Amino acid sequence: MDNVMVTNNCRCFEKWKDIFQMEFEEGWTYLDVLTKARDYIHQGYHLLTHPLAGSVKPNQTPFKSIILSKDTLEDAEEFRDLVLIEDSIAAYHKFIKGKPLPDWPEKSREDFRTVDLSLMEGVVSNPIMNRR
Amino acid sequence: MKLELGKIYIHDVQFADKTYVENGTLFVCKEEIEKLVLEDDRLISARVELARPGESVRIAPVKDVIEPRVKVDGPGAIFPGVINKVKQVGEGRTHALVGSTVITCGRIVGFQEGVIDMSGPTAKYTPFSETYNVCVVIEPKEGLETHDYEAAGRMAGLKVATYVGEAGRNVEPDEIVTYETKPLLEQIAQYPDLPKIGYVHMLQSQGLLHDTFYYGVDAKKFIPTLMYPTEIMDGAIVSGNCVAPCDKVTTYHHLNNPVIEDLYKRHGKDLNFIGVILTNENVFLADKERCSDMVAKLAQFIGLDGLLITEEGYGNPDTDLMMNCKKVTQAGTKVVIITDEFPGRDGKSQSLADAVPEADTMVSCGQGNIIVHFPAMDHVIGTLDFVETMIGGYEGCIKADGSFDAELQIIIASTIANGFNKLAARTY
Repeated sequence: MDNVMVTNNCRCFEKWKDIFQMEFEEGWTYLDVLTKARDYIHQGYHLLTHPLAGSVKPNQTPFKSIILSKDTLEDAEEFRDLVLIEDSIAAYHKFIKGKPLPDWPEKSREDFRTVDLSLMEGVVSNPIMNRR
Repeated sequence: MKLELGKIYIHDVQFADKTYVENGTLFVCKEEIEKLVLEDDRLISARVELARPGESVRIAPVKDVIEPRVKVDGPGAIFPGVINKVKQVGEGRTHALVGSTVITCGRIVGFQEGVIDMSGPTAKYTPFSETYNVCVVIEPKEGLETHDYEAAGRMAGLKVATYVGEAGRNVEPDEIVTYETKPLLEQIAQYPDLPKIGYVHMLQSQGLLHDTFYYGVDAKKFIPTLMYPTEIMDGAIVSGNCVAPCDKVTTYHHLNNPVIEDLYKRHGKDLNFIGVILTNENVFLADKERCSDMVAKLAQFIGLDGLLITEEGYGNPDTDLMMNCKKVTQAGTKVVIITDEFPGRDGKSQSLADAVPEADTMVSCGQGNIIVHFPAMDHVIGTLDFVETMIGGYEGCIKADGSFDAELQIIIASTIANGFNKLAARTY
């Protein structure tokens, strides 16, 4: 599987930098990650994880990680991934318009990183991710 | 499978030297509860406080809410696979201390959330302003890893609820309600002329602070399965979800699932309630594909004419909700979805993160983005530190007197997506 992880979470980067191709910038916003993932979709990649994974909303957590692949694991409908990512970007703007992201203290930022990391750990532990 | 639920109505809660129920009052022994919680060496402090309806009390941040129950007859015991041994439950007799709860609270992670007001204008948005609450404020040992703290907090609540529930074992219930679902062929034969209705219960299963357990199994690791509706009333499902307070399905809500309750009320009258399909809300898109296929397969396999679907959370779960709705509809079963909405503060944006044409019938449980005012309270159980950075709060939202404004989504179960609330939206 030719996978790429797009993330602004340094914990994910450190954990999987030797396993996945990484697109990582600590300074990226949640929106930057969504936009970078969209670029990959336009280049023919498929979403492996849901762009809005986690119940913490885009104006609550600064961190976002998305895994994409050149292969697809499902028989998804055409343009499904583009619809998902565009809907996610629209959702981001909706929430941010209502209330901007708080200036979280580092303790909270670290908790948000941990939650994001956990969401991705659940995915990476899936046996299908080890398919070659 | 037949379950008698003996309801013991609780009208007050008081501290005492031992834990028991007498004339509708729940007496709890603070010391025994604290000792029980501190058996877990991951926790260094447990403080028990009581909260009653009408008091000037604010509880925050809330982790879980649990109704104390005890199994008095039949196989298994409460919270199988988690507190008690793995054994099929849902049969026999169970006693519930209705009107009381155990609430676990305290800082779980750096971002804080989950408010219950026992009085004032915001009390009406949560059902737990009307219950007598035994609150356990827990504190972890320094440096405890987040997963361990979540697990310790979850277990503390379940242990205390099991301990308190024991007080109802030998009390004669005020009311006994009998729920029965027969094996599939017998159930269909019982009411052959009524529409066969099922319920798809989607369990939060995305990861840390987003988990649910069925007989102790992490829901992200199971595939959709059939459940007798009475199993849930004996604690077969417990919550490990600590985010998004407004639509968090607490363990209390699993024990008292309103969809199951209402389907039983109409069972044999205008519908034939066949059973529950359990599924999950994973992050992995391939899991969504697989599990929604299986939900549709099970709905068709057991011959349902219609079903209701509930979800837990926003965003990622909306995709599962829509995939389930679409595939079940295409397999020939009519679907009604139940969910809350996040359409932005002006109410003008798309309220769900995903949509399909098949989702044409929906019950709304309200929207979480509305701003409400929280007056100052005389007493806070837990902590209100960092109100401005609470989920639903915002910079400058707190006033000098301790009152604050925040979005409705900060309140526990205010827009819960299974209908156990008082909000709705109507189309005119």
